[in-house]
Amino acid sequence: MLNLENICFKYSNQTVAAQDISLTIAAGEFVAIAGRNGSGKTTLTKLIMSLLKPTSGSITFRGENTKKFSPADMARYVGYVFQNPDRQIFRDTVALEVAYGPEQLGFSPAKLTLAVEKALQVTGLEAVAGAYPRALSKGQKQKVAIASALAMEPEILILDEPTSGQDSQSGSGLMELLAGLNAGGCTVLLVTHNMELLAKYASRTIIMDQGTKAYDGSTRELFSQARDIAKWGLREPATTAISRALTEYGIQVTEDPRYLAKCLVDLIGGARHA
Amino acid sequence: MRKLAPLTKLILTITVTIWAFIMNDNIALAGIVALLAGTAAVSGLSQKQYKAMLSLAAFAAILVAFQYAFGSGVQLSLAAGFRMLIMTYLFFLLLATTRIQDLTAALVVHCRVPYDYAFMLTASLRFIPDLLAEIKAVQEAQACRGYSNKGNIIDRIVSYLSIVQPLVLRSISRSETMAMSLELRGFGNQAGRTFAAELTLSAKDYVTVGLIAAGTVVILSR
Repeated sequence: MLNLENICFKYSNQTVAAQDISLTIAAGEFVAIAGRNGSGKTTLTKLIMSLLKPTSGSITFRGENTKKFSPADMARYVGYVFQNPDRQIFRDTVALEVAYGPEQLGFSPAKLTLAVEKALQVTGLEAVAGAYPRALSKGQKQKVAIASALAMEPEILILDEPTSGQDSQSGSGLMELLAGLNAGGCTVLLVTHNMELLAKYASRTIIMDQGTKAYDGSTRELFSQARDIAKWGLREPATTAISRALTEYGIQVTEDPRYLAKCLVDLIGGARHA
Repeated sequence: MRKLAPLTKLILTITVTIWAFIMNDNIALAGIVALLAGTAAVSGLSQKQYKAMLSLAAFAAILVAFQYAFGSGVQLSLAAGFRMLIMTYLFFLLLATTRIQDLTAALVVHCRVPYDYAFMLTASLRFIPDLLAEIKAVQEAQACRGYSNKGNIIDRIVSYLSIVQPLVLRSISRSETMAMSLELRGFGNQAGRTFAAELTLSAKDYVTVGLIAAGTVVILSR
C-alpha cells in the first residue's frame, strides 16, 4: 500500500536524517519503528506524511507518487498522531475537537456526525464528549488526538510515541485500543521506545540507526536470536530475556508473559516436590 | 565585535544611531553603512545572518524608492534609507554578537536598570525563536488534520485560528511553568545578585568608547 524507494533526506543544516531507505508497508500491518533519539524515526514518519519532502527517492501511496501531495492531501488517507496533543487541541469540547479534521476534509453533516460518534466510541471517549479537552488527563488527551485522526477515516494510522509520559495502565490501554483498530483492518505505524509494548503488539519492527534502516523484519525474529540490539540503543524486554536465559539451561518456555509466569511457577513447584 | 564588552556595544549602538539622525551628509551616512557592513564581514556571522543583512538592504532600497515616488527629493530619500539601514544593522550586529544574558547583566550592572525590567527584555527576545518553532510544530499538527492555507483572505484568517488558538493556550501554560521554575531558582532575591557573564572592560573597550566620543565631538562641532 505504501512504498518508499531509496529515500534520502537532509535537513537544511546538512544533518542527514534518512539515507537510502526502502521499505513497503502492506495493508493491515502493525509496524513498530524503534531506535535511539535522533536516529531518524520521526523524520521517516514525517516523510510518509509529506510534512517533509525527500531529497531524493520516491514515496508512493497506492501506486501514486506523493511528491505533489500536501500534508492536508495525505490526511485523507493517513492519520498522524503527534507526541504532544496540546499542540493541536483548541476547541471547546472533545466532540468539536474531533470534528475539526472531518470538517476540513469536507464531510457532509450526516457523515461527519457519524464519523465523530464512531471515533469517540472506539476510543472510549463518549462519556467526556462534552468536556473541555485541555482539562483532561494526558492519556485522555492522547485519546482525543487519536479520535481526531480516526474521525478522518484514515487507512493508515501513524503515532509518534503515544505512550510517553503516561502510567503503564493508560499506556497499555492505548495499545489495546491500537490492537483493536488493527484487528479492524487499520494499518498501524507506531514510533516507540517501549520495548515491552513493541514486543507484545507489533508483528513487524523497523529499527532506525543514524538515518539508515538497521533492521526490518518480524519482531519475534528480532528478539529470538542473540542479536546485539544494545548497539541500536534498545533493551530487550524482560520476558524475552528471562525466556532466553531459561533456554540456555535447556528449559523451553514461551515468551508470552502470562504463560511464562505459569511455566516458572510449574518449574519452581516441580523442584519443591522433588 | 565579539571581543568588546556588552556595555561598549550598547554605547556604540545608541551613539551611532543618534549620529545617523544628526548627520545630513549622504556620503558620511553611506560611510557608516559601509563601516557596519565591514564590521559584520569580519565578525564571523552565519550565512543565514549575512542573508538577513542583504534582505535588510533590499528593504531599505524599497523604502528609498517609495520616498522618491511620493515626492521626496533624492537627497532626502537616500538619507532615510541610509538611516534605516544604520539603525537596523546596528541592532542586528549587537544582537548577533552578544549573548542576551550578557546584555541583561550589562544593563543591570552598568546602567542600573532594575533586574526585573532587564529580565523582561531578555525573556521576550529569547522567546521569539521558541515561538517560531512552536508555530511550525502547531502548523504541522494541524496540517495532518487537513488544515491548509488556501482560499480567499477571509477563509485564511478563519482557518488560521486553528493555529493561533493552540499557540496562545500553549504559550500561556508555558509562561506559567517558566514563572514557577524561575521562583524555584531564586528569582526575586534582590540582595547581592551576581552574574556569570564577563563584564569587565578591557583596553579595547576604552579605545572604542574614546573613538566614539571623539567622533561625536567632530560631528557636533561641524
